[in-house]
Amino acid sequence: MKQDLNITGHISKRYNQELEDIRCLLIEMGELVINQVEDGLNCLLTSDKELAQQVIINDKKVNQFEIKIDEACTHIIATRQPAASDLRLILCVIKTITDIERIGDEAVKLGRNALKLINSEKDLRQFKELKHLGEQVLSNLHLAMKAYASLDVELALQVIEQDEQINIEFDNISRLLITKMMEDPREIKNSLRITWCARSFERIGDHGKNICEYVVFLVKGKDVRHISIEQIKQTLEES
Amino acid sequence: MTIKTNLLTDGMDIEHTVGNVFADDPKMSMRNVNVFYSDKQAIKNVSIDLARNQVTALIGPSGCGKSTFLRCLNRMNDTIDICSIKGSLLLDGEDIYHKKMDPVLLRARVGMVFQKPNPFPKSIYDNVAYGPRIHGLAASKDDLDEIVINSLQKAGLYKEVKDRLNSSGTGLSGGQQQRLCIARTIAVSPEVILMDEPASALDPIATAIIEELIDELKEKYTIAIVTHSMQQAARISQTTAYFHMGSLVEVGSTDHIFTNPSHKLTENYITGRFG
Repeated sequence: MKQDLNITGHISKRYNQELEDIRCLLIEMGELVINQVEDGLNCLLTSDKELAQQVIINDKKVNQFEIKIDEACTHIIATRQPAASDLRLILCVIKTITDIERIGDEAVKLGRNALKLINSEKDLRQFKELKHLGEQVLSNLHLAMKAYASLDVELALQVIEQDEQINIEFDNISRLLITKMMEDPREIKNSLRITWCARSFERIGDHGKNICEYVVFLVKGKDVRHISIEQIKQTLEES
Repeated sequence: MTIKTNLLTDGMDIEHTVGNVFADDPKMSMRNVNVFYSDKQAIKNVSIDLARNQVTALIGPSGCGKSTFLRCLNRMNDTIDICSIKGSLLLDGEDIYHKKMDPVLLRARVGMVFQKPNPFPKSIYDNVAYGPRIHGLAASKDDLDEIVINSLQKAGLYKEVKDRLNSSGTGLSGGQQQRLCIARTIAVSPEVILMDEPASALDPIATAIIEELIDELKEKYTIAIVTHSMQQAARISQTTAYFHMGSLVEVGSTDHIFTNPSHKLTENYITGRFG
């Protein structure tokens, strides 16, 4: 269900270029933030202090992207008064960069918590559930950005659907950690840190889901936020 | 929006128009309108309602027939010998092309404002008083004064000209002249006001004043406006109709047309793409 929005079909070549630039910048920003989450997961699993610090430093780049894309969108709104699919594209980009920037913030939290866990000599290599959650979230994030890049509504729906699985995994990890904390109160501090990491992954999953909802809006013109996946599918069938 | 393709009612064929052409409370109803200039067809089977007390914007590229269509609504095309009109055009259910319909009275009921302000070379007062005088709408000088002042007030011009009602209408600025023309149209108490690019010759300030005025006027009148400014259509209308090569391609709520039009041609036009 890939769609062609014909972004480069305008009479004004410069307008085509401006829209294409924004789209490309957002894809670049998405790649950067995927790397950040990947590094966030890896520094947790491998207790890599340097990598954790790098994640925290790299967040500045994510923020710069947000500002740059925001400015480009403001410029287009002011000079082109976009309508229809162009308007939806601009709205989609403005909302998506907010979510991507927040994913970046969650990656920073992963890095900070990793540093604390490394300092307290907590080894997470054995924590398979967290590894699995992180990988699942990363894979979803990849798909979300792919859905955006190729305007693939079907793929977007798949990501929205899979987010439920991520929530279930997060609940399982929370339960596991609560049990650990009750068994050994000395572990409370570190268990809380791991919970926060799991929480960050769960939030990243939510942001990925949001991005996919914007993709549906961009392509189909239907606002599918805050409704169940069944309702989304029904809405799209009706259109 | 309901997409009523292939809907045939009373022999009505609107299969080429996307969107709901029917208004809940129509002031004017046009069905299967075809217009020819000699043997050249300018309007092809257009059906649309003008909803009462709403602004309907007619948009489309140059030569698409939107102005021709607008001019059919008060029989302005009657004066063009080679122009022939087929189809049904109803004003409150009355056929406006019926042989008993007096075009002069019709034009008092369906007034028109043109692209270029065209005040008469008379005083501001006489410009507005002209219509009421010839239609005999005022019983006395006081009545006429009241109509003139009231019309100028509704057109948002009174405060600016109240001390010089006897000066020439042509001495006003472009924006003021256009408001004078609107006051002249309002003076004969029309039911519908047709506007053919009323702000295209005006600067942004005068345009904003006219747009604000249109928004107020819709409380009392039904308005159809032809405009080349997409943003203007988006700002002031509730319904937008997109014309292309004489056909009505799409009708819908203005919000819908400007965020998610259903027809590719509409999308291409409003986003500035090759059609």
